[in-house]
Amino acid sequence: MAKKWIYWFDELGADFNDLVGKKCANLGEMTKLGMRVPPGFAISVDGYEQFMEESGAGKEIQSYFHKNSAMMSQVGKQVEASREIRRIIESKSLPNEMAQELRHNYQTLCHQQGTPDLAVAVRSSGAVSMPGQMETYLNVRGKTELERKVTQVWASAFTARAIAFRLEKKMDIAKAPIGVAVLKMVNAKCAGVVLTVLPTTGDLSKVVVEGNWGLGESVVSGEITPDQFIVDKACGTCETTISQKTKMVCYGTLGTRVTRVPDELKCAPCLNPDELSEIVRIATDVETYFNVPQDMEWVIDRDQSFPANLYWVQARPAKYSKVKQNDSQYLADLMSRIFRM
Amino acid sequence: MKVYDVVPGLEFDAERDLAQSPAWFLDATHSVPPWTPMFGWFWINFCRHGMQYGAEKLSLPTVHGWDWRFMNGGGYLTLLLVKSEEEKQRREVEFRKAILPLIKDYDGIWNGFVKEILGRYEKLKELDVDTASNIELLDNFEETINTCRRMWEIHMYMMYGTYTAYILFENMCRELVGIDDTSPSFHRIVSGFDNKVFQVDRRLWEFSKIASDMGLDDVFLKNEEVDIREKLEESDSGHNFLKQFREFLNEDGWRMQRMSEINLPTWVEDPTPALSMVKQFIQKGGSFNLDEERKKISVERAETEKEILAKVPSEQRAWFEPLMRLAQKSGIFSEEHDHYLDLYTHAMMRRSALGLGRRFVKAGAIDDHEDIFFLIPDEVRRAGINPGQFDLRYIVDRRRAEWLEWQKTPNPPAILAEGFDLDQAMGVLVKSNDPIALKVVVGSMPQVRPELKADLYGTCGSPGVAEGTARVIVTEDELHLIKAGDILVAASTSPSWTPVFSMISGVVVDRGASLSHAAIVGREYGIPVVMNVFEGTTKIQSGQRIRVDANLGAVYILDK
Repeated sequence: MAKKWIYWFDELGADFNDLVGKKCANLGEMTKLGMRVPPGFAISVDGYEQFMEESGAGKEIQSYFHKNSAMMSQVGKQVEASREIRRIIESKSLPNEMAQELRHNYQTLCHQQGTPDLAVAVRSSGAVSMPGQMETYLNVRGKTELERKVTQVWASAFTARAIAFRLEKKMDIAKAPIGVAVLKMVNAKCAGVVLTVLPTTGDLSKVVVEGNWGLGESVVSGEITPDQFIVDKACGTCETTISQKTKMVCYGTLGTRVTRVPDELKCAPCLNPDELSEIVRIATDVETYFNVPQDMEWVIDRDQSFPANLYWVQARPAKYSKVKQNDSQYLADLMSRIFRM
Repeated sequence: MKVYDVVPGLEFDAERDLAQSPAWFLDATHSVPPWTPMFGWFWINFCRHGMQYGAEKLSLPTVHGWDWRFMNGGGYLTLLLVKSEEEKQRREVEFRKAILPLIKDYDGIWNGFVKEILGRYEKLKELDVDTASNIELLDNFEETINTCRRMWEIHMYMMYGTYTAYILFENMCRELVGIDDTSPSFHRIVSGFDNKVFQVDRRLWEFSKIASDMGLDDVFLKNEEVDIREKLEESDSGHNFLKQFREFLNEDGWRMQRMSEINLPTWVEDPTPALSMVKQFIQKGGSFNLDEERKKISVERAETEKEILAKVPSEQRAWFEPLMRLAQKSGIFSEEHDHYLDLYTHAMMRRSALGLGRRFVKAGAIDDHEDIFFLIPDEVRRAGINPGQFDLRYIVDRRRAEWLEWQKTPNPPAILAEGFDLDQAMGVLVKSNDPIALKVVVGSMPQVRPELKADLYGTCGSPGVAEGTARVIVTEDELHLIKAGDILVAASTSPSWTPVFSMISGVVVDRGASLSHAAIVGREYGIPVVMNVFEGTTKIQSGQRIRVDANLGAVYILDK
């Protein structure tokens, strides 16, 4: 009997970082906190290693690097290696026993949600931060497609950038501890981020919420100008900036696509006041719990009603400028506020 | 024929001015006792100009500065509020840019202004007012007017900027540390700094040592204050002492006995107030107590700073600390600006006006050179070149008679439109968010705490507890009545009162805020100050023993 390699989110927590990677551990921690997280499970790094061993992909990769080690520092060779290794991994199908286990979990999830061939997101979950291995597949339906996407996420550990990075850090090129998150796709009405600090000034008295119609990808990637709501933690006053939102990310038949925002929604706020205050309430609660400003991703489900429609997909310590780029300007801003009281 | 009943924009005109604003407040700190017409003209015109200049240069979001009127010798002020939300927002955006230079280079800006204004004074003093031609003299007077105008621009630009920083610091202390500007530990943070006014006090103490070394103690101790100068002249050593003393006065003695009036001599003209302070230092003996006090207060300040900073979240310290440094400059500025700006400019006004006054007497336009203070600059201009052609006595006589009348009855604390009460008026003042109105005029309201069983309740201006004999002082010329260890009781205090702080053990003032004079100087001398008791000067009598507990804001009359 092989080691356990699939975990439901409620079995996980922050301590499971090395086992299932950061993203999964975080989803587990959020579940533990009672936050509404899209239901799903995690594939641990043991799953990855078991696959590498049983499918023979591991050996092939080892020997490839062994043969080509001398030339690996050349960028051209790294690109070639990436292509070759990803081909090796993606050409292997999941060993039988593993495939059965994965299908079992997927079916349980479908059953729980009452939807056969439930649309899920398959996301990489690295145990260490590594650039260029953040492959994510959205709107994945059916067990065959799921198996394929899981191996593709594993393969994404061997992008050229990831290879170069491991080389530079003198890490084992052939190894890449990577977990995978499989979670229900939320049928997003709108989505975005919330920070419990103003990242530019380090002002901890404010919460900033940004969002757009559709999936959160458009906000996270920074390609569009989202709606922005800056809420004062103490008094709840809100500065709202509604942007003209022209594009959004939606499901395609498979995967996602960028579509135009319908005219009547372009200049409408993507969140109503109830949804906004619920986002702010939970974000500040999480901040209080961890005692550190949070950077979180939220999604509002189109099919459910408030407040059950608010899902969380990410919560991590916020990065913000602690040593102010410009303390003088910040002081000037603070001074201007005393005239508003 | 009379064109107007009053001079519009100078004298109070109930009909028009109450339509402009329903509430006008008496500036009791500066215009009690009532001003002479000339001083009032300068103040009304240029304090108004300076406040609007400062508010506009900084683009203060909520106020355009203040308007002023003159009524029966009293200065009455009202706020010029920014009316629309839209304009407030627009001004706020500009404010954030306009305040930046002060945040980045406060000392550079202030020192630059000090240099500029001292340069103007030097130029004014170059003219010998006794030998100059009438044209030169009138020109000097016009330049003095311009200097006063410029002084108020600097004054109010700096004051608005400085106090805005102070208020922000206070707010942040409340928010992050849980203390406000009535808290003793807040006061410890903003005290313990040297400034020009204290340096002058220190020089006076040094002269007390010089006098003792020269064997002149008896001349000071055995004579009345007004006779000291004459008696000093009688001996060689006394003569030498006075020579050194005059050199000092020529540099730092350009100040008025009363801060906001020009009808009393400067120290340069009459060194009696300065000599009486030397006498007090000789009587007291020992070292300059401000030195020891300053050392002690500075150590306490450093410790309190550490405690406060430790309570500020680490990521906020990067801006909190520079803000604290800015706020600490408020106290220094509050004292120093009086020395370099108000007192010095007023001394220049007096010097130039008296120069003309003597010409006018010689030419027969007026009877006494000090009668010039009953004229306003427009009238001085008229007769400036050919005073012999004009008889101004009819104006002087009428104005002097009025002025003497004004001294008899106090001016009302506010002039209000019908249906508008003082509480509403104070509400407008507070709501304006005008930094000067908040920190100098209004202050915090005292909390009455019956469990303390105190006779008067006020707010803490400077922490500490003291017991002593009460000395109620109404005007500057009574200051010499104060004895070492007394507790000063007054409506409010001003920089010309600073020297007595080295002798007294506590202060009770009817009105005051944390940046008013009594609070700042009290903190530097480490003596308790209770402010905003409202009825101190009416309830307490000179000679009564009283106890002040500034930490609790309580005053006890021990022998009732």
